[in-house]
Amino acid sequence: MTVGTLDQELAADLAAASLVLARRFAAGATLWCLAPSWEPHAQHVAVEFVHPVIVGKKALPAVALTGPDLVAAGRVSVRAGDVVLAVAGADDPQVRDVLRRAPAWGATTLWIGSGGRPPPGAADHVLWLDDPDPALPATGGFVLLYHLLWELTHVCFEHPGLLTEQAPGSVCITCSDEGRLGEVVAPGRVRTAGGVEDVSTLLVDPVAPGDLVLVHAGTAITRVDP
Amino acid sequence: MTDFLYPFLDAQERDQDALLRDLAASARAKAAESGALRASTLAACADALARAAAEMARRFAAGGRLFCFGNGGSSTDATTLADLFARPPGHVPLPAWSLTADQAILTALGNDVGFELVFARQLIARAAAGDIAVAMSTSGSSADLTAAFREAHARGLFTVGFAGYDGGRFATSPDVDVCFTVASQSVHRIQEAQALLGHRLWQAVHEEPAMRELATGSSAQHPIASPTERSEGER
Repeated sequence: MTVGTLDQELAADLAAASLVLARRFAAGATLWCLAPSWEPHAQHVAVEFVHPVIVGKKALPAVALTGPDLVAAGRVSVRAGDVVLAVAGADDPQVRDVLRRAPAWGATTLWIGSGGRPPPGAADHVLWLDDPDPALPATGGFVLLYHLLWELTHVCFEHPGLLTEQAPGSVCITCSDEGRLGEVVAPGRVRTAGGVEDVSTLLVDPVAPGDLVLVHAGTAITRVDP
Repeated sequence: MTDFLYPFLDAQERDQDALLRDLAASARAKAAESGALRASTLAACADALARAAAEMARRFAAGGRLFCFGNGGSSTDATTLADLFARPPGHVPLPAWSLTADQAILTALGNDVGFELVFARQLIARAAAGDIAVAMSTSGSSADLTAAFREAHARGLFTVGFAGYDGGRFATSPDVDVCFTVASQSVHRIQEAQALLGHRLWQAVHEEPAMRELATGSSAQHPIASPTERSEGER
């Protein structure tokens, strides 16, 4: 990262991510942080929110997810309405797996990283430094990004009128349901952002726990492959 | 409808775009401030950095090891620095650890002998003359860090402190061989500059002639030499 520059696009992404994060916190969210290759970043983000350096700023629930199986840790930890923040390169297999499942858990996703970018839609908010230097995670570039995320999120709390969640997206005009990502829990039971529900898997059988499917009107209409 | 009771709510909703613009502008201003501070810090610390890198390289080449520690966010930055030394992209790995990595040791020491000694006691158990201690702090005055430096210095370790503000106790302590002070009042900006300094320190260590010999395997390493032998060889 060129010292001292934050281009307009990244600044706008940071602003949008901060407002969403503040809204989610205001609604009771926990922030789950993971950084498999540079784990201290996940812990730094968590301590930033839990124990603010500026006296008087609200302590917010943030937790570093660590250990050998981050998908399992995320699955058992994340509740609908939470936020998942990854600090990782675009090719990190665990982060990719967690972030593609997060919508089925009802979580908003943020991805901080550097080098080659993840594919479009890999996370709700992508905060990226394009510098390919593999040592960039140890230069303070990421620290700056999540410090700014913390600072801007707390600015948003000074605007309580803007902290209400926005209306949900468009729905099917025939049945008023959306196409929602779901994670198979057991035969006929699928976890979506709305909770665990009864879903017919006839169209996509056989399915196993952990499989991702698209749920529409009580039916899994297609598989969602990695 | 309650709009007639709270007409300002609608107005605030329309202010969302204005808030996003303000946030983006604030982010850019803070990033510029961080960049300027990082540049001025590197310039101000250039001599100290060269001195620290030369001594660290000499010690690594002679089998010395690096112990990093700090509190809170600084502990994570110290761990990142230890990770950079121990598993560096594109360089020879060097023996380096974070002293906050083991929760059992940290909580045992904190509970039994007091938090002030959580790092000093680990150095007593693990470190020897010829090793290196690096502490990252924004105040430069945390009691657990100054206690660890006192122990480290007494045991013949090379001690490097990262501080903010005016350098705190690190700046004047005889236990601190090299102190990098980031002259800022903001904890966040201090940590960002310290991270870059740490990265430059790692780079500078690897540019030392002693390290190039280590990388090609031509240097005589003494990883199990006794502390006495090593300190004699170096002093």
